[in-house]
Amino acid sequence: MIKVNSKFVVITLLLLFALTLSACGGTSTDNAGANTSETTTEAQTETTDSAEAAGPELSGKLKVQLIGDFSLEDKTDALTGQTSKGVKVLKDEFERLYPNTEVEFVLMGWDNYNEKTQTMLQSGAADVYQLPGIATFAEQGLLEPLQPYIERDSFDLDIYLNGQVDGWRAMGPNDQEPEIYSLPFIGDARLIVYDKQLFDDWGVEYLSEEPTIEEIIEKASKMTGTNPKTGEKNYGLTFNGNDAADSIMNINESKGGQWGTGFLWKDMKLEFDSPTMIEAAELLKEATQYAPEGVLVNQGAENFLQDNNNVAINLRVAPGFVNSLETFGTQDRYQAALLFKHPEKGMGGMFAGSPFAIGANSQNKDLAWEWLKFSGSEFFQEYMWNEQRSHSMPVIKAAAEWESVKEVPQMDIILKQMSQLWAPRYPYRAGQPRYILSENVERILLGELSAADAMKKAQEEATKWLEGQQ
Amino acid sequence: MSQIRTKLFGKWRVASRRESHAIWYVFLLPTLLGILLFTVYPLIESLRLSFTRGANERFVGTQNYADVLASETFWYAVYNTVYITVFQLLIAIPIGFLIACLINSLRRSSNLFKVLFYIPNATSMVAAATVFLAILHPDGPLNYVAQLLGFEKVVWLSQPTSAKWGAIILSVWHWLGFVIIINLANLQAIPIEYYEASAIDGATPFQQWWRITVPNMVGSLTILFVLGWIGGLQRFTDAYMLGGLQGSPARSLHTVVGFIFERGFGGNEYGIASAAAYILFVFILIFTYINTKLLRMKI
Repeated sequence: MIKVNSKFVVITLLLLFALTLSACGGTSTDNAGANTSETTTEAQTETTDSAEAAGPELSGKLKVQLIGDFSLEDKTDALTGQTSKGVKVLKDEFERLYPNTEVEFVLMGWDNYNEKTQTMLQSGAADVYQLPGIATFAEQGLLEPLQPYIERDSFDLDIYLNGQVDGWRAMGPNDQEPEIYSLPFIGDARLIVYDKQLFDDWGVEYLSEEPTIEEIIEKASKMTGTNPKTGEKNYGLTFNGNDAADSIMNINESKGGQWGTGFLWKDMKLEFDSPTMIEAAELLKEATQYAPEGVLVNQGAENFLQDNNNVAINLRVAPGFVNSLETFGTQDRYQAALLFKHPEKGMGGMFAGSPFAIGANSQNKDLAWEWLKFSGSEFFQEYMWNEQRSHSMPVIKAAAEWESVKEVPQMDIILKQMSQLWAPRYPYRAGQPRYILSENVERILLGELSAADAMKKAQEEATKWLEGQQ
Repeated sequence: MSQIRTKLFGKWRVASRRESHAIWYVFLLPTLLGILLFTVYPLIESLRLSFTRGANERFVGTQNYADVLASETFWYAVYNTVYITVFQLLIAIPIGFLIACLINSLRRSSNLFKVLFYIPNATSMVAAATVFLAILHPDGPLNYVAQLLGFEKVVWLSQPTSAKWGAIILSVWHWLGFVIIINLANLQAIPIEYYEASAIDGATPFQQWWRITVPNMVGSLTILFVLGWIGGLQRFTDAYMLGGLQGSPARSLHTVVGFIFERGFGGNEYGIASAAAYILFVFILIFTYINTKLLRMKI
């Protein structure tokens, strides 16, 4: 056995602890600093080199964070068997346009994406971020305001579908009004989709392009029961039980109501117990009698979009349904209709999708801005549409003219819907008011509370929570 | 000899085994570091966060604790958690014990049954819950069997009470294998001489089971009760998979950990979530203490 001086061991252990802990604590900063300076030096060198060859162009490394089902290389979809090109296509094109640059993607999944993004923004791990939860980060001053860049380059925001830029407005720590901190690159929406064959079976006229909730309830009531042609049990409608509160909010908008006012928690005023909200809740409750028994937990409409479907109308379908239709070969059987909209404001429905933003501590903001502009280009958007269609819809007006878009019968409605979503998006959904409203809507649909009582309760609880955020 | 060794190892002196302890701490260092960084530090950080609020981590004292304890949603989550756990334990432990006794009495095929019953416990809860979403479907196999037996169709996950029972059925199915294995281990440790002696004295098989088996099983039943209770209070995955983030319908599957998850990751309220986590810790501590005292368990 080796005998070791205990003092020596203790000192060694303490030193090792200190070394390890300091290494852990300091790694990110030190390395970030080192990397940053390295990148800057590299960028400067490259700028100098390229300046001689190609003038004062942008250069350096650009780190772009992407969330979701992206991959750098090509991949094959297990369901459809189709191969889609990886985001390397975007990297190659950007590097071709800006020869002295290098794009590096940071790809991550949707799990805990807000927490991961927060860490990345604070440590400067990327320059450009995909930020569906932008409001939280803008509020902390972690994002670069884009208005100066837009003005400097006279960048035309009119290329985007109506409302797509406004939908992502957010407020920084010193802003008085919602400002532009990001530009959209992934479009999303919810639509009403219906099965034309069931309408034919029941001899009911198809939904109009902009149906009212009353029209839907009336037609759904006619198609609930035993199908006169197939003899199968049919349901008039279904909706997403988890998002029933959003459906009620959308009906509320069609009655002239709105979610409330304000943007930051401290300024927010909710209108959950308004007469139009109560009426909307009663209407959805009425509609529920024509839905499958398990609608609250999204059961009973699993075959919607397929050949053996037995539900006539779905009040809330994500635009990715066009892929399902293609997979099932039922493109001609289903059609889409627009969500309800506010009679005066001309918009309605939950705004969704993903924008790109620039981190406030990015070391290459000008190049990052070029990436944001690139993401609104037809090249970028067409790539997203052709290769990443399962989780992305185009956000630019030019998409309506693409042949591949025209080939999809439901796309004109989808693009229209994306142009009239409620903007800026519902800020109350970023915190407890969303869950409070949702819980009370479920109690209405379960028959535990009347619409008036539940909405009053939701308003009181949510207002109390807001007061706690002051 | 000592001089020779001293010569061999230079300044290191060779000592007897009894004299050398410190060197082993070097070997413990990686583990200690891991515990410090990934357990102790998060615990302290979480405690700090529990006294703050908002993105700027504004100090609010014990306000988060007060808010959690005053929240109806939190207490409903506690009720749901306790409800599901109590029925899970009341059903799984006795049934598991009985099945273990039956398997133990088999002369052949006992290993086959051990494996069969243990498979659910080795299955990921996410996968199991996904299957149960189909089993608990209004037109699923459970309703098919229920209707064959003359019962009415139940829309399991659409009503608060039946949704909780759906979670109980899932948790019992998943945990039963573990209960059986623990009980079997204890059953096989009971000396055979007890049974031989009682047989000579004329005891019936039921008397043997009641007078010998059951009293000797108290230890394993107690540990199952305590472990089940701790695991039950930490329930999340099964309820989350069946009821989503909010524990739908109407929060009937919202558990305490679900409350922590929703407030933390659903709304970025890390202060509230941390405070709720510490309150849950205290709950588990109290319940475990009471359990060990009531069951006279030696730990």
